[in-house]
Amino acid sequence: MEHTNREPIPYWNWIPAAFALAGIIVFIFATYGPPASSSGFVSTLKGFFEWVAPDYVAAKVHYQAIPGPGAWLFAFVLGMAIGGFVAGRTSKKIPVRDMPPIWKRRFGDSRAKRYTATFFGGFLILFGSRLAGGCTLGLFISGSTQLAISGLYFGVVIFAVAMLTARLTFGKIAEKEDIQ
Amino acid sequence: MTTIWLGLFSGIAFGFVIQRIGATDAHRMARSHLMLDADIPRFMVLTVALSAVGLLGLQAVGMGRTLPLPTSIVATGLAAVIFGIGWGLTGYCPGTTWAAVGEGRMDAIFALLGGLAGTALFAQLHETLIPVLYDPTNVGQITLTDLFGNHAAAVAVLAIGFGLCTWGIGKLWGSRERIVAVEGGPDTETSPGNAEKKAE
Repeated sequence: MEHTNREPIPYWNWIPAAFALAGIIVFIFATYGPPASSSGFVSTLKGFFEWVAPDYVAAKVHYQAIPGPGAWLFAFVLGMAIGGFVAGRTSKKIPVRDMPPIWKRRFGDSRAKRYTATFFGGFLILFGSRLAGGCTLGLFISGSTQLAISGLYFGVVIFAVAMLTARLTFGKIAEKEDIQ
Repeated sequence: MTTIWLGLFSGIAFGFVIQRIGATDAHRMARSHLMLDADIPRFMVLTVALSAVGLLGLQAVGMGRTLPLPTSIVATGLAAVIFGIGWGLTGYCPGTTWAAVGEGRMDAIFALLGGLAGTALFAQLHETLIPVLYDPTNVGQITLTDLFGNHAAAVAVLAIGFGLCTWGIGKLWGSRERIVAVEGGPDTETSPGNAEKKAE
């Protein structure tokens, strides 16, 4: 593993980080059950719709299957935001950016363009997750940990398609310039 | 009530670790997808291998609640394609979106809003789509144990297979020099909250 001597790498080494995350995942299996994060989106919406349109929530199968905000699933995603906040505030080295440099080089400075794209991307990842029943965590990581074929199948396809999409989106500039 | 505190605690720990490995950084995620940086995929795959062994240990002492999701050949595959396009385009997945919002990344806030919109649309269409896309090719909650006949052997196959994947990813990815993404570069964009931090 070669290090460049220009700047220190701001991120944790991947091996101890994997031990740390696996420890947390095993803790979650022991104290709750399979971890999931896309379900937190359903919990959030369920809380909102129970407030503005209770009859709608009561009639829809998708909301019946998942508890509202007063349960583990929502507490977990809220905790993720808090964890991200604490981690971001306590690291002076990891950059917090509104727009990734690679995106900027490919599509320019427009924030509107980036935000539209992440809105659309967020829409796709959640629509897909809800169709499959889970996301990177709830289906790939948790599912594969439980040896589920669904998790392995989902994992292989999301990696392949994301790699292809990234190549089609950023491939040209990644070849031309040394994108750090 | 206890479960809520457990959820919150687990989420905080999870969010902290994924921020420290750089999974909340869409730039690093794009580099991972472009095979320029091996750390995140290796980290994910090793996490699964270790978790599977840990879960086997839990089950050996009679703990741990499991619920493997069913496999629908059409729906799981189609969902993965839709998901992969969004992930490759933006560099966010559902979990990292929450942590990145907490970190203060503006583009993640829009990803979260888009995610809520996607969830709302799917929930609306659930009764229409599930019988058409999911149910016909649903083969049930199949696991590697069904394939290998023995639970411990299946865990061993998964752990060794994923262990080999981390090695393979290290070989295939990251032939270029490793990522250096620190503040102060020409492309560094900071949000107002972060500018304060810099001034400290």
